[in-house]
Amino acid sequence: MEYMPNFQLHRPATAEEAVKMRSDNAAALYVAGGTDLIVNVRRGIEQPENLIDLSAIEELKSVTKDKDGLHIGAGVTLKEVAENENILGKYQAVAEAAAAVAGITHQQYGTIGGNLCLDTRCLYYNQSEWWRQSNDYCLKERGDIGHVASGGKRCFAAFSGDVAPALLIFEAEVDLVGPEGSRRIPLVELYQNDGLDHLTLKPDELLTAVHLPKALAGCPSRYEKTRIRGSIDFPLAGAAVRLKMKAKKVNDFAIALTGVNPYPQIVKGTDDYIGNAFDDESLDKLRDNVRKQAKPMKTTTVAPWYRRRVIGALARRLTEELAG
Amino acid sequence: MNEIKPTKSIGVRTPLVDGPEKVSGKALYSADFNPSDCLVGRIFRSPVSHAEIIDVDISAAQALPGVKAVITGDETDETFGILPVARFEYPLARDKVRYKGEPVACVAAIDVETAQKAIDLIKFKYKELPAYFTSQEAMAEGAVYIHDHREGNIEREVDFELGEVDEGFEAADFIMEETFNCAEIAQVQMEPHAAIAEYDPTRDFMTVHASTQVPYYGHLMLAKTLKMEESQIRMIKPFVGGGFGCRTECLNVELICALVARAAGGTVRIVVSREETFITHRGRPETDVEMKIGLTKDGMITAVDYKAIQRGGAFSGYGVVTILYSGGLMFGVYDLQAVRYKGLRVLTNTPPPGAMRGHGITDVRYAFESLLDKMAMELGIDTLEIRRKNLLQGPKYETLNEMFINSYGLPECLDWVEKASDWKKRKGKMGLYKGLGVACAHYPSGASKPVNWSGEPHATVHLKLDWDGSITLLTGAPEIGQGSTTMATQCAAEVLGLDISRFQSLTSDSKLTPKDNGSYSSRVTYMVGNASIDAATNLKTILLEAAAKKLEVKPEDVECLGEVYRAGTQDEGLTFNEVVKAALEGTGTITVKGNFDTLPESWGTKKYRGGAISGSMAYAYAAQVVEVSIDPETFDITVVKVWAAQDVGKALNPLAVEGQIEGSVWMGMGQAISEGTQYHNGLGITNSMLDYRVPTIVESPPIEVGIIESIDPHGPFGAKEAGETSLISFIPAFTNAIADALGVRPLDLPVTPDRLMELVENSTSNKKAAE
Amino acid sequence: MSEKRNISLLHCTVNGKERDDVVKDNLLLADYLREEIGLTGTKIGCDGGECGCCTVLIDGVPQHACLRLAATCQDAEIETIEALAEQNRLSALQRGFHEKLGTQCGFCTPGMIMAAEGLLRENPNPNEDEIRQGLAANICRCTGYIKIIEAVQFAVDELDSKGKAA
Repeated sequence: MEYMPNFQLHRPATAEEAVKMRSDNAAALYVAGGTDLIVNVRRGIEQPENLIDLSAIEELKSVTKDKDGLHIGAGVTLKEVAENENILGKYQAVAEAAAAVAGITHQQYGTIGGNLCLDTRCLYYNQSEWWRQSNDYCLKERGDIGHVASGGKRCFAAFSGDVAPALLIFEAEVDLVGPEGSRRIPLVELYQNDGLDHLTLKPDELLTAVHLPKALAGCPSRYEKTRIRGSIDFPLAGAAVRLKMKAKKVNDFAIALTGVNPYPQIVKGTDDYIGNAFDDESLDKLRDNVRKQAKPMKTTTVAPWYRRRVIGALARRLTEELAG
Repeated sequence: MNEIKPTKSIGVRTPLVDGPEKVSGKALYSADFNPSDCLVGRIFRSPVSHAEIIDVDISAAQALPGVKAVITGDETDETFGILPVARFEYPLARDKVRYKGEPVACVAAIDVETAQKAIDLIKFKYKELPAYFTSQEAMAEGAVYIHDHREGNIEREVDFELGEVDEGFEAADFIMEETFNCAEIAQVQMEPHAAIAEYDPTRDFMTVHASTQVPYYGHLMLAKTLKMEESQIRMIKPFVGGGFGCRTECLNVELICALVARAAGGTVRIVVSREETFITHRGRPETDVEMKIGLTKDGMITAVDYKAIQRGGAFSGYGVVTILYSGGLMFGVYDLQAVRYKGLRVLTNTPPPGAMRGHGITDVRYAFESLLDKMAMELGIDTLEIRRKNLLQGPKYETLNEMFINSYGLPECLDWVEKASDWKKRKGKMGLYKGLGVACAHYPSGASKPVNWSGEPHATVHLKLDWDGSITLLTGAPEIGQGSTTMATQCAAEVLGLDISRFQSLTSDSKLTPKDNGSYSSRVTYMVGNASIDAATNLKTILLEAAAKKLEVKPEDVECLGEVYRAGTQDEGLTFNEVVKAALEGTGTITVKGNFDTLPESWGTKKYRGGAISGSMAYAYAAQVVEVSIDPETFDITVVKVWAAQDVGKALNPLAVEGQIEGSVWMGMGQAISEGTQYHNGLGITNSMLDYRVPTIVESPPIEVGIIESIDPHGPFGAKEAGETSLISFIPAFTNAIADALGVRPLDLPVTPDRLMELVENSTSNKKAAE
Repeated sequence: MSEKRNISLLHCTVNGKERDDVVKDNLLLADYLREEIGLTGTKIGCDGGECGCCTVLIDGVPQHACLRLAATCQDAEIETIEALAEQNRLSALQRGFHEKLGTQCGFCTPGMIMAAEGLLRENPNPNEDEIRQGLAANICRCTGYIKIIEAVQFAVDELDSKGKAA
């Protein structure tokens, strides 16, 4: 019998109801698939008094297409995202990223919304209650020291979701529903560079949908991650690249990274390549530029310098591949 | 009539006799027992690495409603441990704690919530002591002793020199040395540790089910720590979800469970988490090896001088055996004329390692095979050929430490992998980032001297024959997934010429089955297989006599055809059931016994202290070729294919032998590519199946198995070890393949992509440009 | 003050049998199956979603019973290893795992078979790579996976010939 903290489970039927339940109840958390959150609950990292289970909300489970583009409900599973015919080929990196999350079983009930709102991860944080207590906890949770870097004044926990960078390169937007109504923001604005608090969600806000613009549908794209094993592992580093060439010159170009910073980030400087062709020199420069922007820290057992090296290599390789 | 033949069992691909229970979900493991009155046990573990215990205040925990017992180190002052020379571990810490996670107290409560609340109420007061997490720190001048009676934190120092080592190096044309570091490895058997103890206060009787490979040693330690008569304890091993050595000694989990059950006067189940299973450990120690080899210019080994330092954790466990194995098992693969060994087993404030699959020799063999490979490449000798040159010479296969070797299929193993991998055409010619590597290994078929020398036979099997014509095989040998019960059944069935469906089996229940030392050091096939043959032979004698009486002929004139016993080909004979009835008439149900004993010639050398440890009745041999491919940018390593040949003497069950070899190769791969524990101030930072990276099905390679049968003269139908040797050979074959692919050679394990990238970049002359 | 009792009424189908149970809100599906119903075939091998031993089918889809709360399985159809044998005969997958030695210690086997069952229902004729991908979240520590792949291929062939015969 596994030990679980005591909490009350709520099963709203609509997003609106979910938001109300969360704001009406103390210490409440949303749970979608639970592949990440329930692990953290089991480890005492999260100790909710109320858990708002989103799995009964049908309105979050569909993928629709209209003149503006593609709209993916937050409750759509990663497997559906990976196999959806309106995503495959059209927003290829998104499908590839969804198919790269953990292992196939996680993808069958883990959701796209959950993957976007994944907590940041760190070797000193994703441990049992006994472990963290024996280590005096950490900045991110009940403690007052960071264990990753000397000084310990900052939290470097890394964002480790696969899907976010793939959506970022397609300039995705997300719908957020909160007690004060709903809003739509660019996905890039959902995140901030803070391992402690990497999501900009307002209190009780719920991510309900992801929108992919029609204008970019079909634009060639790829996602690749590095991990030690062929499955289950979170990305040590992951890169999504979208590249449109016109007459062998760069027409439109975006790169986003995951696993190497507390938030998924868009690589700066890709516009500089527009109008130019790629050669070895410019690809090398691109690789070095990506490496400069990645700041992995000792949040995994694999050396940070390697993750920085490899993220550059991945971005370069995907770019070269897409450039044809 | 003439067509009646005894049923063949040996050499037949035989699915496991307990397979249907496993695939249907009916197999019960320790955690699956849950009687309605069962209490939940939870363990309070030390948050510090090394400290004097000032007080364990359990008063608030005891006062919590629903708590039935809370125990601490006060519960027993008896120690446990596998080796009589190093038994200084308490089930619950007394006076001191010595590693983070060491059990300090245990709660039994009506449910898991109450148990956890009680754990949270325990107040642990201690005075911290300096803690040492590496061998070097623990051995440093001025380090405090982790155990008062172990000076300098050395658990055991081993020194020997066999042959003239200095002369050997003088005779060498080429000498090289290299230092290797091999990470600590965990078994990560799929079943976390679990025990259920039922104490009956009215009879003062204890029944324990536990996930163990050694129910008999568990039984002994239960009696010792509970201070109960052995006869008042019943130890049962139900289905066990793998072991690979982590359950080769009695673990604190089953002892604590029994102690708390007695304190609570009832039944308690403890199922520990995966993290706690890592903490309980008993894996392969972190090992540093300094290896030096001398060769003549044509590749003949003239001398070997090496040192192994093992980070031994806070308690000895099997440590003394491990450090001795690291020395003694250097012999027996190649013809070595001069060997010097120094072994240091160091005590540290980390969880205690144990006897993991490939016990004691894996890391040392890796270092030897890697350095030999490197030297062959430098000398321009084919790396497979240099191994062939140094093979033992028959028919006597003598070694300096007097090993008892009567079958040696290593030459055939090398021939097989050479051909199967198309070695001659492909080795060294695959281009950059692709490579082939080869390595050899061996492993004993059980230690010829048991850990607890009581004078009893090494193995005993009972066969019970009853009126229904069924035979029940009773063995204490713990089936833990390796197929030992199937093997023992096949051996008996072969002797009697019966189909194995005639047999039922009952294993590892101290009240019912004969004592057996356990499933470790690959002893079971050899010893229990032979005991099973002996028992079946004894039963056959009885059946032949009964048939002879009935047929009114002499026993030697009766022919046993399994289901029919007859006197001459013209005789219709008697059915098996008729013979059974004839045999049981007047005497009733019979149980026959079969034994196995090792021969004194196999008891190992007396040339140095501890030399007997590596004595065995037979050694299995392996040669392996591994093909790798490396991503030039990410340095991801793909194991493309493995060719694994193993001399198993005789494949009693080729299906299970393949399964054992495939599993061994693959587990060696885990150690080579991704596995290793890491600590942060003594806290295991990789104590999950996410951060301790056991390979998934995705990156696991195809493995082609070559079974070599050398027919050992003393093995059961010629059989030897099948489940460890090929783990050992994988690791050096793999790094040798990387050396073939890249021209640089990894020395430290595991070879993760970051380490390989670093190695390659450090080796390129223009390091700056690579940045 | 006694702690708040957080409980739900759960209606679901387990191995074809409809059930109504009062369950604690924090009860994991794995513990509901193992401890409340006594279906101990579903195993727990890790501290959450890392090994695949607890894989069961929920509405036909393989999921980790150790990360699902039982109370979220309202009206769901849950299938465990105990449901697979049909008419007193092991299923083709179960026979494959037995006869091809896809099981050694047997602890990963229920989860492995349920993951394979989910795969075959979706794709009755997977190639080797698809089998690997379908079992990618399930760790086995005994076999090296070789014979697990053969076990699934055995079932594919059996089901294929059965389909052809029909």
